[in-house]
Order: sequence, then structure tokens, then C-alpha cells
Amino acid sequence: MKEVALKELLYKIADDQLILGHRNSEWTGFGPLLEEDIAFSSMAQDKVGQSYALYQLLNQLGEQEPDTVAFMRNAQQFHNCQLVELPNGEYDFSLIRHFLFDTAEAIRFDLLSQSSYQPLADLAKKIKGELQYHTLHANTLIKKLGSATPESIGRLQNSLDIALPYALGIFEPSPFESSIIAEGFFAGEAELQKQWILKVDALLAQTQLKPISWPTVKAIYGGRNGQHTEHLQPLLDEMSEVFKIDPTAEW
Amino acid sequence: MYGGGNTFEAIRTDSLAQEDPEKLAAFEAKIERGEKIEPTDWMPALYRKQLIRMIEQHAHSEIIGALPEGTWITRAPGFKRKLSLMAKVQDEVGHAQLLYSAAETLGKTREQMIDDLLSGKSKYSNIFNYPAFTWADSCFISWLVDAGAIVNQLANAKGSYGPYCRALERICAEESFHLKYGHHCVIFLATGTDKQRQMFQEAINRWWAPMMHFFGPSDKISAHTEILMKWKVKMGTNDDMRNQFLDMYVPKIWELGFTLPDPNLKKNPTTNKWEYTEPDWEEFKRVINGEGPCNKERIEVRRIAEERGRWVREALKAPQAAYVTPLA
Amino acid sequence: MKSLDPRVNRLPTLSREITTKVPLDQLGTYEVFVQAKENKPFQHEGIVHASDIELAFVLAKETFTRRFTCVSIFVTDTRDVYVSALTEGTVNAYDTLPPYTPNANNILENYLIFHLLKRGKQHVLAGKVTASTPQEAMLKGKENLQDGKPVFNVWAIRESAIRHTQPEEMVLWKTLPDKKYRDASDYKAGDKLTRFLAQRKNEIL
Ligand SMILES: [Fe+2]
Ligand SMILES: [Fe+2]
Ligand SMILES: [Fe+2]
Repeated sequence: MKEVALKELLYKIADDQLILGHRNSEWTGFGPLLEEDIAFSSMAQDKVGQSYALYQLLNQLGEQEPDTVAFMRNAQQFHNCQLVELPNGEYDFSLIRHFLFDTAEAIRFDLLSQSSYQPLADLAKKIKGELQYHTLHANTLIKKLGSATPESIGRLQNSLDIALPYALGIFEPSPFESSIIAEGFFAGEAELQKQWILKVDALLAQTQLKPISWPTVKAIYGGRNGQHTEHLQPLLDEMSEVFKIDPTAEW
Repeated sequence: MYGGGNTFEAIRTDSLAQEDPEKLAAFEAKIERGEKIEPTDWMPALYRKQLIRMIEQHAHSEIIGALPEGTWITRAPGFKRKLSLMAKVQDEVGHAQLLYSAAETLGKTREQMIDDLLSGKSKYSNIFNYPAFTWADSCFISWLVDAGAIVNQLANAKGSYGPYCRALERICAEESFHLKYGHHCVIFLATGTDKQRQMFQEAINRWWAPMMHFFGPSDKISAHTEILMKWKVKMGTNDDMRNQFLDMYVPKIWELGFTLPDPNLKKNPTTNKWEYTEPDWEEFKRVINGEGPCNKERIEVRRIAEERGRWVREALKAPQAAYVTPLA
Repeated sequence: MKSLDPRVNRLPTLSREITTKVPLDQLGTYEVFVQAKENKPFQHEGIVHASDIELAFVLAKETFTRRFTCVSIFVTDTRDVYVSALTEGTVNAYDTLPPYTPNANNILENYLIFHLLKRGKQHVLAGKVTASTPQEAMLKGKENLQDGKPVFNVWAIRESAIRHTQPEEMVLWKTLPDKKYRDASDYKAGDKLTRFLAQRKNEIL
């Protein structure tokens, strides 16, 4: 029971990082300015690297090799929230998602640095600087673009409205929530969501974006349960296209 | 990545008659002594013009060069390859950033350069007008196209213009990762399954002609650029660069049991030079002038990227920040 | 557009024909300085384009410090760098400074002084002085920061015009040494190659 709960926790975090890292990597070479192209690619790499580290933890707990886990599962076997699998859209959507997700991610790993599962706590402490950069980057750009031109404010507002219900899906409770909290693996999704709302509100207050009326936002759940949008399976097919030419080969 | 001095045209030196002979002599003496020229130094207009042209082409080659390999960025097999390819393509974007900055010190803005790329006024390395059909093509590029680029870049790093040399120093350090990564990928294909070996052999067959073109037309037919050699703008002839490349990499390709699609390719033991079937320079010209398989796509992708990013740059444009020429 | 790159196939098509960009969306220019190790001086590395100094800092970090080690960076607006004449041969740039008498009543500020010791190399931090103007800062640099070698170019930057790395930001570079995948040394395939070559040799024999 205990281990099942831990694995579920690790899988969903790892899957989030992998899928969003993959999505964000699509921008490499297509970014709005060269320096931002580079920064966004680095953060995508960080995410893929973090997912790799988490799958390695799972591997130590008896799960299959990271490559097999990442490249051979189908969509129903993924536990990522739906937010991360949505197509990149225009830069406003990618940036809003990056802000919403990474704000949560930074708090999540901050909480995980207290995890009773030591390898996870160690990893969380180690990557603190990476996450700090991601939120510094996201906050800086949202503050600027969220108060700049009518077009930039309008675009961000529109993307924010679309992304918010999915963003609440980050915090979809796990069936093992109480065990995860009781075992001290993680402080729980409700706690994470509470802290996240404070941070999001505080940052948006520094922009010309509308304050969020949280009770009116309806969370889109399902991702943690293997229910995904029509976008995830094609993403996985694409990601594993070469790998599946011969999964037993070394590439 | 970068493809040689391949689009240098015949240099008209008439403008030199208008330069102050004393200043010109001091400038040339400085280069002769091996000292670097820095942005605020006096320099002949022709030197400035040719340097801008070369560094700008190099920068365009990096940003366009990110596209053929980028073709495989979402499909790299396995975590390690995924991370490596992301970082590798990112570096190429970074090289463009560094090189545009170096060219900017000569007085042309990045924006003007990108405009000239999009309008077709300035060129980029021809090789990136070819498609990357399979994963193995991306491995060919990472290993061998980058290897060719390194031959050029190491030579150019000894050139006379300080900002370009500094940019190239950083770039060459990163290229050593690209080269090792590419070779690593190819060794895995070569020592892998029959299918993997076949994939790479096919990539070689597709890429060999563009690779031979990469260093530019043969010295017999290429424009006279003595003055650029003297000023250490151009650091070696096209044929020298090509020969260096063949010398270093043909044995490595053969060692892996692959064949090269040129029956005449061999090293002449007396001259110590490589002999090969003369590349089709008409094809080279056609592709450079827009008839290659991917020219349209490459430019169109850059246009779309610029256009999609426009609202971001417009929104970021703040009245207190102003474009000025970089210092060094 | 039908492309081999699935990412390109997902790009939107442009609604209008674009041949050149809209004029002048070029952002400002910021100079970037990097400190690779605790006991090493800051060194000029290049520029980024950004809207302001804060974004310049954010973008400079990934543009210039993606590999090896880094403990700290800073950025400043190019217009805030005061530059001496550029000299050559045995001429010291400090000897070309125009005469200048500072006003004793002016407010003193910290300035960072950078030296170019070899043409073609980077400007390196020589030290800090207090002065009321950049001219005075350069004169103080001349008195206090030289060590005999000719300096070919001097830069003076008012410290208040610099976006430094804050102490709590030092952690930003912590995992840099772990990012081995960006480093050539992580790509060793010698064993695989040797085994393969030995096998091939056997096959041929
Ligand atoms: Fe992140
Ligand atoms: Fe490269
Ligand atoms: Fe490059």
C-alpha cells in the first residue's frame, strides 16, 4: 500500500515533467527572440532531466527502465495532468502554462524537500535552483507582457482563461492522498493548491490581467487517472517513433 | 555549424584607393603582427563590409542550421538522446545569438540582418537546404556537418577580428560536444542492428554530395579573395578546408564499415591530397539560388517564427531601453 | 507546408505575406559579465537584447552560462559602460585619459573598472573604486588598479547601474556540473568501437 502510494506520486510528477518538457522543447528554434528561445529550451531540458531522475527513482523501486517507461507506455498509462499535454498554441499559451505549472512545480518540490522518502527529498533539494530560475523567468515575463500592450495583455488573458481549469487539474487528488500525507511522502495536493493560489494571485496583481474568481473556475480532472485529451497519444506516438523502430536496439 | 567561404564573390578593391594610405598601412601591419582588430579601431570600409557579410552568413547558417536537426527533436530515441539533441540544437541557436552580436559590433543591427535573411538578400550555408529524412540523417549532421563546420571555425578563430574570434572561441568549445555527440550516435548505429546500419548508410548516400559542396566551389573556379586572406578574414582556401575534412573523417567513416558514394575518392600518397569526383557545382549554384529541396521551407519557418514572436518583441519594447551597438 | 518536421507541420500559416519584419522591434542592448569560480574575476562575455535590465539578467543566464561552472553573473545597459580610448603596441589606455579635475563636492559612488589586457581577449574586472564621475573613476583606476602591464582599454561601470546576482540566486547554477549531457566528455563510445573493430577484423581474416 505504502509503496503503491509512493509510486503513484512519483509517476504523476515524472509524467508531468516529461510531457511538459517535451512540449516546451518544440519551441527550440522557433522562439520569439533568440535569447528567449535559448532560455525556454534550457527549461525544457531541465524538465526532461528531472523526469529522468524521477523514473530512475521508480526504477530503483522495481519499475522498468526509464526509457521503457517513458517511450513504451500508451496514453492511458500516463498520469500527467491534462494541462501539460495540450498543444503549445501561440507563445502566450505556452508562457501562461509555463507560469501556472512552474509556480506549482516550485512549491511542490519545496514541499517534497521535506519528504520522508529520502531520495525524493534529496532530489527536490538538488533541483531547487533550476525551479527558482523557472519561476524567475516566468514571473519576469508575465509581469512584463501582462502590463505591456493591449495585444499582449489580451493574449495572456485569453490564454489564462483557457488554461485555468486545466491548471486546477494539477491538483487532482490521488486515490492514495491520505496515505501519501500520513506517510510523510508529500504534504498533499490540497496544501499545494492553497499555496499555489496565493502565489498566482500575488503575481497577477502586479499585472493588468484580471484577478481570478476562483469559485467560478471548474477544475478539469482525469489526467491523474489515465484519462487524457486527444492530444496525448499523438504526442507519445511522435516521441517514440524512432525508439519503436526497434525498442531492443541501442540508439 | 557553418559552411565555408562559399558565397564570397569577386572582391572589388577599387574602394581601397579612397582609404588613407597611412592608416591602411598601419591597419595591415597590425594584422601582420597578429594583433586583433577591435570594433573602435580604424578599418577599411571593404574590411567592414566583408566581415559583416561573412559573420552574418555564419549567423544565418546557425539559426537555419537548427532546423534540419530540429526535425528530429521531438523524436529522439531515449532520454539521453532527447536531452542531447535538445541541447545541441539549442547551442546552434546560441551560436546565432553570439554571431549576430559579433556582426552587430560592426554597425549592422540584428534586426537588419534577419530582414536580409528573410528577404533572401543574404545567404546561409547551402547544406541546410537539404532534408533530414530519418534519425540517421540527424546523426550525420551532428557528426559530419558539424565536423566540417569545426574545420572552418577553428581556422576562422585565428582571424583578425576580435569580436568574431571571441564568439568562435565559445562556439568551438560547444562544437566539441556536438562532434562527440554525433560520433557517439553514429557508433551506436554502426554497431547496432542491420536496420540501424542501413539507416546510416542511406543517410551518407543522401548527404555526401551536399557535404562536398559544403566547403564551397573548388579553388580553380572560385572568386579571388587574396585581399581577404591577407586581412585574415578568410583563413584558408575552400579546397584546403575540404581536404582537411576528408583527411580527418573519411578514415573514420570507412573504419565503421560504411561506404562513400564516390568511386574516385582516395588519398593520393604522393601529393598527400584527397582526390574525388568533382562535385556538381551547377547543382550547388542552383540550390544556393533557391532551387534546393528545402530553401522555401527554411525561410518560411523563420518568417513564421519572426511573425509569431512579433507581439512579444513589440510588447517588450520599452521606451527606456534603446538599441545601441554592442561594445566588444 | 508539408514538412518532415512534425513541429513545422503544426505551425500556423501566416495570414499575410511577410517579406520583412515590422521596422524596429529591436530591443535594447545589455552587456553580460560572468564569474566562473569564486576566486576568479568577472569577465565580459557578450551581450543580450532585452527590454530592461531584469529581463536581460534572466536571459543572460541561459545565453552565457549553460555549461561548466558559474557562480555569479551581472548585466548592465551598454549605455552605462564608460569606455576609454582603445590603444595598441605599448601605449597604455590610461595614458590617453583626458585631464580631469573632479568637483570635490560631488557625491561618491562605487565604480567597477575593467581592463583589456590583450586585444582579442575579454575585458576582465580589475577592481572597484569610488568616484563621483566615470572620468574620475578611470583616473582612480589608473592610480590604484594597474600592475605594470599595459592596459589597452578601460571600462568603468557605476555599480548602481548593475543588476547583480543576489545571494539567494547563487543556487541558480547549482546543478550545472550535473548537466553532463552538454559536455563532450559524456560521449565515450570507445569500448563499443574497439569491440566492433576487433570483430570486423576477425570477419575479414
Ligand atoms: Fe520548471
Ligand atoms: Fe554545432
Ligand atoms: Fe554551431
